[in-house]
Amino acid sequence: MSTKSAEEALFENPDRRTRALIRVGTAIAALAMLALIAAIVLRFYQAGQLAPRYWEFFAWGSTWKFLLSGLIGTLASAAMAAAIALTVGLVFMAGRLSKIWPIRWAAVALIEFFRGVPSLLLIYFCFLILPSLGFKMSSYWMVTLPIGLNTAAVVAEVYRSGVLAVPRGQRDAAVSLALNGWQTFFDVIFPQAIRYVVPSLLAQLVIVVKDTTFGYVVTYGELMQNAKVLVANYNSLVPVYLIVAVIYCLLNYSLSKTSRALNNRMGAPATLSKAGGRLNRHAG
Amino acid sequence: MGDLAKLLHEFGPAFIHAALITWKLTIISYSLGVLLGIALTVLRVLPIKPLKVLVGAYVEFFRNIPSVALLIIIVFALPDLNVLIDYEPSVIVALVLVCSAFTADNLRSGINTVEAGQIEASYSLGMSLFKTMYDIVLPQALRAIVQPMTSLLIGLMLSTAIASQVPVPHRELTGLVDMINNETASGILTFAITAAFYIGTGLVISWAGAALDKKARILR
Repeated sequence: MSTKSAEEALFENPDRRTRALIRVGTAIAALAMLALIAAIVLRFYQAGQLAPRYWEFFAWGSTWKFLLSGLIGTLASAAMAAAIALTVGLVFMAGRLSKIWPIRWAAVALIEFFRGVPSLLLIYFCFLILPSLGFKMSSYWMVTLPIGLNTAAVVAEVYRSGVLAVPRGQRDAAVSLALNGWQTFFDVIFPQAIRYVVPSLLAQLVIVVKDTTFGYVVTYGELMQNAKVLVANYNSLVPVYLIVAVIYCLLNYSLSKTSRALNNRMGAPATLSKAGGRLNRHAG
Repeated sequence: MGDLAKLLHEFGPAFIHAALITWKLTIISYSLGVLLGIALTVLRVLPIKPLKVLVGAYVEFFRNIPSVALLIIIVFALPDLNVLIDYEPSVIVALVLVCSAFTADNLRSGINTVEAGQIEASYSLGMSLFKTMYDIVLPQALRAIVQPMTSLLIGLMLSTAIASQVPVPHRELTGLVDMINNETASGILTFAITAAFYIGTGLVISWAGAALDKKARILR
């Protein structure tokens, strides 16, 4: 088996004509890229968006302090939502794998419900509907709890794919050593399953971070909400939203990069990567 | 039961209409997003360095930005750059950009599931680049991405809920919950009906995706 990727093999050893074409293409693409950058800068200039008043407050410490407190709000919500997802997900998975059918069906229903609706709809439920029934919660929980439960349902399926990927012999061996069901699961199967699914769990974290953006809906002080406040104060939409977008991208990029690196290193078994496709929630 | 009958009597057509809007937004942005994603993948696999860098940056940016942040930028920030897009097209543009980035990523990993040895073998048989791509690489790559493209479609369908964040002329499902809840007291029922539409649509898509995948999958 070669370690070369298909992408590399497609254009290996080009003949002279192809090489010339590649050179011309590279030159054209480089020029087009410069033209694109120039067009964007020109557009900013023509719209007056390069004026110092739109940018000067980024030189002030207070601006960054405010954005940082928003980022901390985002991380605080994401961390708690992740903790809820990891624990409730475990309960959902245990129910899903249960031999008692009412428990199994209930777990399937909960999983399909929580992962089948947009997290924004769940946030609306906590924000609009629960208060009218007399349940009040803080804006932090109105974002965190729905995202946590939404992710728990996905995490339950991620765990399950890990458990199913553990070779059957492991269970047989545990049983033949006279371990009971509980020991078999928590001492033998689950520790191995977790190792398989760490990259998928990290990938879910990206979606959790993205979903916390809905915090501004309930005016929870996360990054997007604080960006809106900055926009209202300085009337500087483009620079503020641009910088916030870059912060989100860098944060999520580092998470997905770590997830992919772990995925390559840990080398999940084939059965898992097969199930993985179905589990990856994408947009958000 | 009386509440349900009353709600359906008053808002039944509104639910159907909102579901149609959700489906419409999903179908339009998925189709355009997939086409754009294919075009991006072509540019990305070409051995042209600046294109690889540019498309790579595009994919990472739109994969990692929260779609609602993207929508807010398009609707509220772009007018300051003299780019005015109407509300509903803005939602579609945001979803298309996100969908194209994920499609490009899926398709590229699909292409890379094909072993390099197969391409070398094809070349040594004298097959051209296009023939190799068309007859050897793409048939396998497309089969490999049925599942990720199915979950992308479900994710995109759920993401259309971001349309509730801007004043679109026709409300989709999540926006409808907001409206009905303001006008009546039957919040839970409204929520349940809306949730049922989302879950039902998701189940149909995942069933169709699984059926397609079963037909297309290559057992290795």
